[in-house]
Amino acid sequence: MTARRATGHPAPDTKPVRPYRYLLLWAELLAVSWRRAPLLTAMQFVIPAAMATAVIGGALALRVTVDAMIRGDAGGAVAGAAGAGLAGTAGIVLGALDSHTAGILIGRVAVLDLNPRVHRDITTLDGLEHLERSDFQDRLTLVRNAGWEIVLSLWSANGVLFAVLELTVMLLLLGTVNPWLLWLLVFAAVPLWFDQRGNSAIIRADLRAAAPIRRQRHLFDLATDPAAGKEIRVAGAGAELARRQAAAWDEAVRLRLRAQLVAAGWRMAGWLLFTAGFGAALVLVVHQAARGAGSAGDLVLAVTVAAALRQSVYTGVRYTTNVASAGRVIEPYLWLRDHVRAQRTRVGGSAPSPPRLRHGITLDRVGYRYPGATGPALADISVHLPAGSVVALVGEYGSGKTTLVKLLGKLYQPDTGRILVDGVPLDELETRTWRSRISATFQDFGRFPTRFAENVGVGDLPRLSDRERIAAAVREVDATALVDRLPDGLDTELDAALGGVDLSEGQWQKTALARAAMRPEPLLVLLDEPTASLDAPSEQEIFDRQMERSRRSAAGTNAVTVIVSHRFSTVTGADLILTLHHGRLVEAGSHRELVAVPGGRYATLYRIQAEAYAREGRRPTAAGAGGPEPDVHLRPN
Amino acid sequence: MAILGDVRLLAVALRAARAPLTVALALLLVLGALLPPAGAVAMAHLVGRIQSAVPADAALSAVALPLLVFVLVLVLGHVVDTAVAPLAFLATARVDGAHRARVAGLAAAGSTIAPLEDPQVRALIRAARADPENWTEQTPGAGAVAGLRLAGNLVGVAGGCLVLARYAGWLVPALLLPALLNGVLRQRDAARGIAVWRAGTLDGARGQRWQDVATSPAEGKDIRIYGLGAWLTARIQRHALAMEAPVWALLARTIPREAGQLLLVGVPLVAGYTVVAAGGAGAPVGSDRVVAATAVLVSGVAVFQALGWTEDLRVAVAAVGCLRATVDLASRLPTPDQGGASRPAAGTGPDGAARVRRVGPPLVRFEGVSFGYPGARRPVLDRLDLEIRPGELLAVVGLNGAGKSTLIKLLAGLYEPDEGRVTADGVDIAVLGAAAWRSRLAIVFQDFVRYHLPARDNVVLGRGDHPPDPVALDAAAADAGLEPVLARLPAGWDTPLARTVAGGVDLSGGQWQQVVLARAHYAVRMGAELLVLDEPTAHLDVRTEFEVFSRLAGNRGGASVVLISHRLSTVRHADRIVLLDGGRITENGDHDELVARRGRYAELFAIQARRFATGGRG
Repeated sequence: MTARRATGHPAPDTKPVRPYRYLLLWAELLAVSWRRAPLLTAMQFVIPAAMATAVIGGALALRVTVDAMIRGDAGGAVAGAAGAGLAGTAGIVLGALDSHTAGILIGRVAVLDLNPRVHRDITTLDGLEHLERSDFQDRLTLVRNAGWEIVLSLWSANGVLFAVLELTVMLLLLGTVNPWLLWLLVFAAVPLWFDQRGNSAIIRADLRAAAPIRRQRHLFDLATDPAAGKEIRVAGAGAELARRQAAAWDEAVRLRLRAQLVAAGWRMAGWLLFTAGFGAALVLVVHQAARGAGSAGDLVLAVTVAAALRQSVYTGVRYTTNVASAGRVIEPYLWLRDHVRAQRTRVGGSAPSPPRLRHGITLDRVGYRYPGATGPALADISVHLPAGSVVALVGEYGSGKTTLVKLLGKLYQPDTGRILVDGVPLDELETRTWRSRISATFQDFGRFPTRFAENVGVGDLPRLSDRERIAAAVREVDATALVDRLPDGLDTELDAALGGVDLSEGQWQKTALARAAMRPEPLLVLLDEPTASLDAPSEQEIFDRQMERSRRSAAGTNAVTVIVSHRFSTVTGADLILTLHHGRLVEAGSHRELVAVPGGRYATLYRIQAEAYAREGRRPTAAGAGGPEPDVHLRPN
Repeated sequence: MAILGDVRLLAVALRAARAPLTVALALLLVLGALLPPAGAVAMAHLVGRIQSAVPADAALSAVALPLLVFVLVLVLGHVVDTAVAPLAFLATARVDGAHRARVAGLAAAGSTIAPLEDPQVRALIRAARADPENWTEQTPGAGAVAGLRLAGNLVGVAGGCLVLARYAGWLVPALLLPALLNGVLRQRDAARGIAVWRAGTLDGARGQRWQDVATSPAEGKDIRIYGLGAWLTARIQRHALAMEAPVWALLARTIPREAGQLLLVGVPLVAGYTVVAAGGAGAPVGSDRVVAATAVLVSGVAVFQALGWTEDLRVAVAAVGCLRATVDLASRLPTPDQGGASRPAAGTGPDGAARVRRVGPPLVRFEGVSFGYPGARRPVLDRLDLEIRPGELLAVVGLNGAGKSTLIKLLAGLYEPDEGRVTADGVDIAVLGAAAWRSRLAIVFQDFVRYHLPARDNVVLGRGDHPPDPVALDAAAADAGLEPVLARLPAGWDTPLARTVAGGVDLSGGQWQQVVLARAHYAVRMGAELLVLDEPTAHLDVRTEFEVFSRLAGNRGGASVVLISHRLSTVRHADRIVLLDGGRITENGDHDELVARRGRYAELFAIQARRFATGGRG
């Protein structure tokens, strides 16, 4: 027997991404862009080259014009002026073309290639770890809509390349006026470098300001949300929250303003140094022109180039900043790809699921520990869940019931032991087909921002728009009255944030139950506290039907039904009751067997509720408050 | 004219940046816009001096002044550019901070929440919140600063025209008119673009919501079990395409039209330049010709650049959209003055809370109260009569959707009755005033607030209009049995209850319910006399639920309690139970009375008790 020690919770990779990975990524993005839109891609090289040519050509044309006019060469002057006019026009038109073509290209590659890939990776990974670990969740938040920024980084890098090229050519041009002017190269590097320093101060401050900004946004959202508005009004907390919101905003502004001032200082220093060098260069050129060694045209050229030089340096710095800040999303993006690759190779399994259960599901010394948690959530669970049975999981909160349910759904991989479905290890079953035979309602079920019908229909995707099937699922869970009361029936929008109807907790629960009723022939039904917010008749109705369906399935798929519930009234009818405590299985048996255990956990918990319903009722008093501590299970940060 | 209204909106928004900053920024921007024409003039003079100095061999001294002026212009250009950045940042931040405070204030102002639930108001809040989710949205601060820049640009154009007028007056109309025409055409394209991307904002928002779903651990389980990954990816992409594809198509159509610029910009520019260079059409003669040509050639293009389509214009236009939404929002919501949300501390002074306490729990009556949600076919409450007696523990029972939560909202004055009234000790609560009445209430709503703030604040915000009271805080924690949860928090009371905050943790649903119970107990300790609990234990296990009610029974002091619960095992211990059905109270009495009556309550109780009675299979 191979009790597998999972290596599945790697510490988050905090090493910075190596530069070569950026280059590889850009090469890959370039290839993707080329496949997606070859013409637009080519234009991203042609247009900047043409723009640089226009700038340099314009400066040259000015020199020609001025020199020709001084010489009295009318033809030369006209030709030069025409060239200057054309260069200016080209600059304007090319600038517009550059932004249009880049806009289309970046948008298309981001929306059609990059973002879907990220979303598919996020939504089709087998496990939940990347969603439940806060450090992973932070990265997903950054990367989930970052396609645009990532593609932009490629063209920003390209822009840096062209800016440097343009700078070099312009300086060489100055060198033709006087070789001493080549020294301006050094002076041009100063603002480039200083600006960069200032910008990194801004990026750092933005990172630090993220926390107060998040707080401000949270408080703002609360202030404008009707649900939160109820409580805030009753508690009279509005003014206090407004004060905190303003304070959070001010804190963020203070942090960022300081960085802005620091950056302005660097920038100013850099440009003053450059201007000092440039002033000296001008004196040199003027001196040369006055001596007759150069022309007035040289001066015009030098001045025009100097002005253009500033523009190139600005452009270069802006692109460099884009590339630098894209690291914020590129690093989590590369992480996600690595994570997905690692997970996909780890989680295998290709065996098909059986058409019906013969034997049942067996847990063999199963244990699981949440990443970063101090103790195991489940330890050493061995039990057989017979085919065709209804199994109830009982225990106080934090005892591991939900974790067990998730293990059965292959949402987690056991750290120790294994789960066998009719003798076949669960990790050898193909995840997709296994899940296609599961029907599940979780405690924190999904609430999809779409119409009611789709919220139910996603329970069986091929029949997403099969209204009869959906109506049947609605009847199955006693939700017909609920649908009748919705303004647009099955077609009612449920996204309250965008103007849809706000369902109550109980109504949502019925929606989720209807979703779970969509699949026709499940092998495994998982119900994790499915009726906590429902009234008694609904709860009764739903459980009775579930029991009936489970019994019926014995003749068909012979499904196993697993129910987690705090309400013992719904538990007693189960074939097998498992009592969990601190992640261990402490009792297993039928209701009759377990109530008979003297001092047993199940018996005790059952008695508390049974007495509450008994003729006299157990009256809660202040004296009764000293019971055993409830379990406290914190998710690690 | 609409455009004047837009300019006014931006100007009003800019007030929040305060005058000294705005003036400094405006002066710098104007100065920055005037520098290029000034530079052109200085350079032209420099060239002229050199040209005339060459034969005289008089060298540097002759050109020292124009050279100095030119370098000064360069230095000033850098200084202005550099200084504008932090000032523009600060102005943007001030305007946006004030704007967000205003929108939040508007939303929080009304004493009822009905306006906030109006889908149109929610859409307006989304549009006005100035928290851009994508490139189609811009904040008022960014828009106001962009507006300042645009105004500066116009000054720059004027400066450029002055230079042209000085050397070749005929060039001003020759360049300015096509530049204006070009500008107008570009604006028209841009306006079309704005309409297209505005049309996509709803899809943008929907795409965002589906992305939330894709990364949420709750939906993540359904996505996996039901194999929704590919479907969801396609859904997100569908919305993204609906938002972006029209923009791409528009850009693609715009590209050939940019060629039109070649004519509008190129022809006058090339013609004007060549005429000046050739010395025709009124161009000056002699050495001045070189000066003039230089000045014209250097400043001509700038006129076209400044009047073309700029990013600043796009930002300003988008920001106007946000400001218009705010105006619309303000007209649909009550003004802050009327509201009771920002209640002055305890209303009447330091003795407020104490005075309220002395009064004792109120006698609350619902007198013929009817209420229906807008657009609903039938009212939720239909001429309902109900009494909440001082000091009693009253349980409200009913099926899902019977209107129990609505009843509570009416009790708190969060909705106004369509008919009838709610009174406290005989006085209509509308007369009492929302603030004064609510200071006597503590309510645990089903969808309570989870503040991403330290545990302490999560409790003391239960009475947000009083300074935090550490004694009441600890007492409330004890009342609610919160200590075991607190003991496990890494920084105790100071631990933020959200993992998105540094050092924070996420609590489970049951743990949150305990925090919120402590919040309610805190309010009671701070003087609330009527405690309302709406399904406070749905996610608690049997034992914890039992403890919660035991504590409640022991620690509520003299306060009245209204309890809503589906768990009839707890409800039965209430002093009085009422059944809400069909919008009215249909049964009223204690547990034994209601069971004896064999009505609906007895039926509901029997359903839950049956299995215990038969000891198993039932």
